[in-house]
Amino acid sequence: MATTKGQPLQFDLDDDDLKLFCEEADEQIELLDSSLVQLEGEPDPELVQQIFRAAHTLKGSSATIGHKKMASLTHAMETVLDAVRQGRRTATAEVVDALLAGLDALRVLANEVVTRRDSGTETSTLEADLLATLDADRPEQTTAAARPTRRLTEVQLKEALLALDEGSVVVYAVELVIEAGCQLPSIRCYQALQELDALGSVFASWPDRDAVEAGAGEFALSAVIGVNASDEQVHAALMSVTDVATLTIRQMAAADLEASAAETASPVTAPAPRPQLTIVDDSARGDTPRGAAPKKAAQSVRIDVERLDGLMNLVGELVIDRTRLQQIRDQLSGVLRDANMTELTENFEETTSHLARVTDELQEEIMRSRMLPVRSVLTRLPRLVRDVAAKCGKKVELFTAGEETELDRSVIEEISDPLVHILRNAVDHGIETPEERRAAGKPETGTVTVTAWNQETYIYLSVKDDGKGIDTKTLRNKAVEKGLVSREVAEAATEDQAVQYIFFAGLSTARQISDVSGRGVGMDIVRTNIERLNGQITVHSTPGKGSEVIIQLPLTLATTKALMVQSNETVYAIPLVSVTEALADHDAEIHSVNGRRTLRLRSRLLPVVELAQALGDRSPRRIDSGRFVVAARHGDRQVAFMVDRLLGEQDVVVKSLGDIIGNRKGLTGATILGDGSLGLIVDTASLVSEHAQLAASA
Amino acid sequence: MAARTDSVIEPAGNPAAEEHVVIFRLADEYYAVDIQAVQEIVRMQTITSIPGSESWVEGITNLRGRVVPVIDLRRRCGVTANEPASETRIVVVSSSNGMVGLIVDAVSEVMRIPADQVELPSTIVAAAENTYLRGIAKLEDRLVSLMDLDGVLPSEGVNEEVAAAAAA
Repeated sequence: MATTKGQPLQFDLDDDDLKLFCEEADEQIELLDSSLVQLEGEPDPELVQQIFRAAHTLKGSSATIGHKKMASLTHAMETVLDAVRQGRRTATAEVVDALLAGLDALRVLANEVVTRRDSGTETSTLEADLLATLDADRPEQTTAAARPTRRLTEVQLKEALLALDEGSVVVYAVELVIEAGCQLPSIRCYQALQELDALGSVFASWPDRDAVEAGAGEFALSAVIGVNASDEQVHAALMSVTDVATLTIRQMAAADLEASAAETASPVTAPAPRPQLTIVDDSARGDTPRGAAPKKAAQSVRIDVERLDGLMNLVGELVIDRTRLQQIRDQLSGVLRDANMTELTENFEETTSHLARVTDELQEEIMRSRMLPVRSVLTRLPRLVRDVAAKCGKKVELFTAGEETELDRSVIEEISDPLVHILRNAVDHGIETPEERRAAGKPETGTVTVTAWNQETYIYLSVKDDGKGIDTKTLRNKAVEKGLVSREVAEAATEDQAVQYIFFAGLSTARQISDVSGRGVGMDIVRTNIERLNGQITVHSTPGKGSEVIIQLPLTLATTKALMVQSNETVYAIPLVSVTEALADHDAEIHSVNGRRTLRLRSRLLPVVELAQALGDRSPRRIDSGRFVVAARHGDRQVAFMVDRLLGEQDVVVKSLGDIIGNRKGLTGATILGDGSLGLIVDTASLVSEHAQLAASA
Repeated sequence: MAARTDSVIEPAGNPAAEEHVVIFRLADEYYAVDIQAVQEIVRMQTITSIPGSESWVEGITNLRGRVVPVIDLRRRCGVTANEPASETRIVVVSSSNGMVGLIVDAVSEVMRIPADQVELPSTIVAAAENTYLRGIAKLEDRLVSLMDLDGVLPSEGVNEEVAAAAAA
């Protein structure tokens, strides 16, 4: 056959599917790898079932992506395994060998999906070998015992010959088939062996005694026995066993025995000589010591994301009810105590607190089930860096760390684009050309490091490069040019403040617009996207040494920690990530500057706005004494919101306001409060930037 | 998903066709919506107002764990709004904008209206801004306006325009 090696291959899958396919294939191949060798020794029905399922899954997924070779090979393996599973075929060394050879080829074939190159692996011979193991077996059932289909080992042969020599026994080859409908074939086989034992000695049996005792679901048993009895007696003894369908007994002479021992199975079944004893097989294969506990395969079930989202919502409601129940408990406990119902009160309190605990755990578990390692995002990056570097004529090496860090899949979906953007920037703007680097006394190859880690309830992603750092001089000029800040402000800004100009809309420091980093729709969009996820983004830069962008994100988007406040009779949730301070107004230094109320907080001046008014609440307001100030930030801007009451911190479940209301300016959604009423979630990012801007322009 | 009410309307003159509707009252006018779109009818409950929203957006309410926007249909249709009374109901409908609650003064009945009793609004009412009427049924004792839910509930795009105008 003409070699197709190296030919490009087409598969029917996109990048996401590829990941899924590889994960699944790896999982199943690993399972086969660790369990196939055990198939021979201890064909535990459960194990056989597991292996069969693995092959079946591989067949399905390879067929789905249109990998014909892999699908047809796995089909052959599945067919053999199915025969073993149903007890139509014993898992002999030859069967296992054929399966293992198939497995090796599978590994190569699965990798083709990644490389998209034909590895030149031919599966037809392997498939023929696999199916041949079934053909070899067929006589065992259909033309029962025309010849013993099993070979005697040397030890067994010697034993039988010895017995024959003594002349005390007659040697028979016995083949029996159990009725197909039998529920407990292995028990019948066991009984048959017992009967034979009672008559004389069993030199060999297929399946062997251990396998029968282990309960391998065999529907056929063959044996070589030495008994001091006629074939009728043997027949009678075996027919006493229930469910025996057919039975053949054939007397064997020494020559027959030798022939059966010497007989190598037909060339089709035995493509290569193989070790005869299974024990040798195992040690030769090495990795799984016989008798060792079978490696526990990762047990997993694929679940529709929608279903997980549904669960998450339900648990969210449960959390609300829990809070509510606790409030009711507090109200009730006084009443119950007064009524002298101490026992009832205690029972109730115990039950509610247990319910609360279980609810918390349930929420945690469901959150966990939605978590994915960030690896799936990071694996896309090396390719990207290589492409971008090639386009810019730079040498860049990418390092990643913390691939195992887990985060909610909704966050994963959202984080990919910003990350790609930041990385592009790092390569395109951060890293210098090899010549520049050489001149600066740096190694020609620049490095970009992407690191992910968890801290408390946040995940952090850092993109760090060892390039030239952010050119604050150009940034300052650009910002002034575009009228984003005044010349005085730009010149007075510290280095660190000037670096933050990178987040201004419409600023691109690349001297010419490149097709790599886009047209100045860069970092401001990135920041908006991150903040929409209740995240924060910060940039640090050291001239000549490089820069680092750090993204902080909540672990999940479904719930968020918030400071609950009340303003003009409505309850609002301010995401805690943006709150820098909350204090009573009499402790706050509020001054009037140019007719605007301003809060002095640690040498900074923050514009003060009524939260309800800032959101557009035009209803008449009640002026209370003893109010509170909540300072919130967005990037480096801060605004102080006046509220009527502070209601404490709470985990809130974020719900959409509905299409009809849409994404209102200043609000990101609503949440259900402990008493069943609704609170509004404040979009601090838009509110702070709007009011900081207003204050600045005044 | 949302049942598009306009797909239910049958060409007038087909005697077999009829509309299965829920009829409700706004002040002293009767309106009807396709029964397929009605999810449930609940008594007036706590509604949290959304600051800065259009006057006819009453706010949002908690419908067994779902956040559902509520519209004051009386304001939307230019009918004088009364104080909530014992008969006031929220008709929860599913529209192409998702679930929406409509405040009505009373739900009167469910009935089948033969299509030949329905006339196009233009022949009777000339109000150009009435984007939410798709027909008027002449019953024996009264007139019932058939409502086009998608006309009543503006899409988000409209809302953004309003927001943009407010911001400018």
